[in-house]
Amino acid sequence: MMWWRRLSLSVRVPMVVALLMMLVGIVASQFVLTELDRQQTSRIREIARLHVQALSVALGPHVLRNDIWEVYDTLERAAGASTGRRTLFSAVADVQGSILAATEPRRAPVASPISALTIGSHPPSDLVVAQAAPHVKLFAPLVYQGRNVGMILTELNISDLIADRVETRRILIFGNAVVTMILALLGYFATRRMLVPISRLVVWMGDTEGSPIRFPDGTALEGDGEPARLVKTYNQMVDAIEAKADTERRLAERERFVSLGRLSSSLAHEINNPLGGLLTATDTIQKFADRPDVVRQSAGLLQRGLAHLRDVARATLEQNRLDRQGAELSLDDFDDLHVLMQPETARRFQTLDWKVTVEPEFMRGFPAAPVRQIALNLLLNASEAAGQHGGVSLELSARPDMQPDTHPDTLCITVSDTGEGLSRTAAKRLLGTGETSPGSGVGLRLVHDLVTELDGQVRLNRADGITRVEIGLPCKTMAEARAC
Amino acid sequence: MELSRREVLAIGCASALVSAFPAQARTPFRLGLTPVFLDNDAVVIERLRSALTEALGVPVTMEQRRTYKEVTEMLLDGALDAAWLCGYPYLQHKNVLDLVAVPVWNGKPLYRSYLIVAPDDDATSLDDLRGAIHAFSDPDSNSGFLVTASELAKKGLRPDGYFGRTIFTYGHRNVVRAVSSGLVRSGSVDGYVWEALSVMEPEMTARTKVIFRSEWLGFPPVCARKDRMQDAGVAAFQRAVLGLRDSAKGQAALDLLQLDSMTAAEPALFDGIARRMEIYNTVSR
Repeated sequence: MMWWRRLSLSVRVPMVVALLMMLVGIVASQFVLTELDRQQTSRIREIARLHVQALSVALGPHVLRNDIWEVYDTLERAAGASTGRRTLFSAVADVQGSILAATEPRRAPVASPISALTIGSHPPSDLVVAQAAPHVKLFAPLVYQGRNVGMILTELNISDLIADRVETRRILIFGNAVVTMILALLGYFATRRMLVPISRLVVWMGDTEGSPIRFPDGTALEGDGEPARLVKTYNQMVDAIEAKADTERRLAERERFVSLGRLSSSLAHEINNPLGGLLTATDTIQKFADRPDVVRQSAGLLQRGLAHLRDVARATLEQNRLDRQGAELSLDDFDDLHVLMQPETARRFQTLDWKVTVEPEFMRGFPAAPVRQIALNLLLNASEAAGQHGGVSLELSARPDMQPDTHPDTLCITVSDTGEGLSRTAAKRLLGTGETSPGSGVGLRLVHDLVTELDGQVRLNRADGITRVEIGLPCKTMAEARAC
Repeated sequence: MELSRREVLAIGCASALVSAFPAQARTPFRLGLTPVFLDNDAVVIERLRSALTEALGVPVTMEQRRTYKEVTEMLLDGALDAAWLCGYPYLQHKNVLDLVAVPVWNGKPLYRSYLIVAPDDDATSLDDLRGAIHAFSDPDSNSGFLVTASELAKKGLRPDGYFGRTIFTYGHRNVVRAVSSGLVRSGSVDGYVWEALSVMEPEMTARTKVIFRSEWLGFPPVCARKDRMQDAGVAAFQRAVLGLRDSAKGQAALDLLQLDSMTAAEPALFDGIARRMEIYNTVSR
């Protein structure tokens, strides 16, 4: 039953509805057939009872007189007059069981025992319409004027009843099958339609990849039904998460300002302390410019004070400087990335194509840290998307055609993968189109931000099963890059 | 509705004319029928009735009864003006009955009695039917009883003792039915009826075969009481019967009956039956 559990709810529920419809059809058919069987049995018993009653009235006097010819003649006429040849065969015997006459005298000769013919016969009250037998054998006493004067054996033709039953069964099966099929399909599609909002919500939630986004308002989710309420609740949750993230962001911003204030006050304090001594030393030098010893002493004080300020500045720089912040991009950076990615792709049994066709001199015009960060994030994302046994590639080139007007020299980083493509929300984060919330993912938002800072451009396209992300970075001086 | 003077006069004249007819002229002529012929055929009876009515000028009613005896007694009682009987009851009441006419079949006023069995029966004569169930037509029928009974009487036997069981079907056609269906093994039947049936219902007679044919005997006659033979009604009836062939309706009725005509006959025509009566009486007394 694992396959059943693997089916989505939007398929399982309609299928269950359809199956229930079929079950109802089968039960209804069975009920009708049972009722038909009961009615036919009742009818054949009534026919048998009336048949015996009529024959008893007609034959009674003749049987009493043992009038063979009249018994035969009456039986013949009764058989000929019976509707649709209901009576196939009749035999009448006296009270001793000796046959007086039969509609087929050669089958039941006069004076032969009737017991030889009664095998498989039933009294009228026990007759049953059996599916296989087109006729039933009826055996009853012949009662005339309250006296038991003989016996009647009759074979009744019930082929019409059986044909009725077969026809009814055929109509029922065909009709119910058609109706049930229609109802099942209607049930399937109606339920499926009802579950469409749920399916859309599930797909939407899946696409967000851990970064919930509000479900857009749509007609399918209007009203006050369960799906609409579910979507409302979901959107409320998304709003709450966004509000929380916003609050956290503001708190972090405030914390940064607080830290900056602390740093500023510390710097002011560290600078202010020697500043008084330095100003005193300069006054002393001005007042006692003609006294070399005093000037020398004050100059020494100035030197110590300035040295202290240099130490404070160096210490601050050391504390806040980013690693290789000012480093220029080099081929080594991409060699490092190549080494870094190899274990990642090997773990997923992926192929990693690496193609760097840029002159080292050209690369020096780009900051190493953000470019490395951009390439690394794109590669990690591509490896994640490509999955097991997929393919990932990086191509680094100088393309003058990306932004020919303003930046004739553009560094182009192209990262490709054989995955199923970026989801809508991931693409949004990468391209920065529309409203995006701060996403975690694998750093696509950071890529977008870094590229934006470097005045670059992001292009996303997918063709032949390959997802390709192209980053175009214009050549800038390092000073400009640092300003970013 | 308002009637004109002329209409009132016309109705008055018509009423006067109707009341002026003698009551006797409108009295139906009552003809009795025995199962001597195809008495089950309503078309035959209606054609015959229609032809006689036309010829006689008065309505003819056809009175049917189950047995010869009932019809004979009605005739004797005066409940019937005439009756189509059989030679045997005619001879039984020869002193009070007279012959009105005798049918002509195949050019002669004669017929025979047949002894019939199923086609697959081994019997070739009456001698092979000892102990069988036998069907007679009527105890007062010549061909349907007397011939077979007299044949047995020649050997000093009676039907009850010779056959295992006997039944009376009160109709020659019924005898053929009884034998053809297998209800009985053998039957005594009017040869004229069997031959007529072989044309009209060949599938039924095909399930029988004739193993004995009697000598030619007088055909069942139409009789009336002797004392009424001179009555105008009976005399007119005799003329009508004898002249049946002369009218289209009469000819059509005769054709249906497969008869040639009706003829006057002398009592001597039934001497053969009389001889059989004598033989039978030797064992029945």
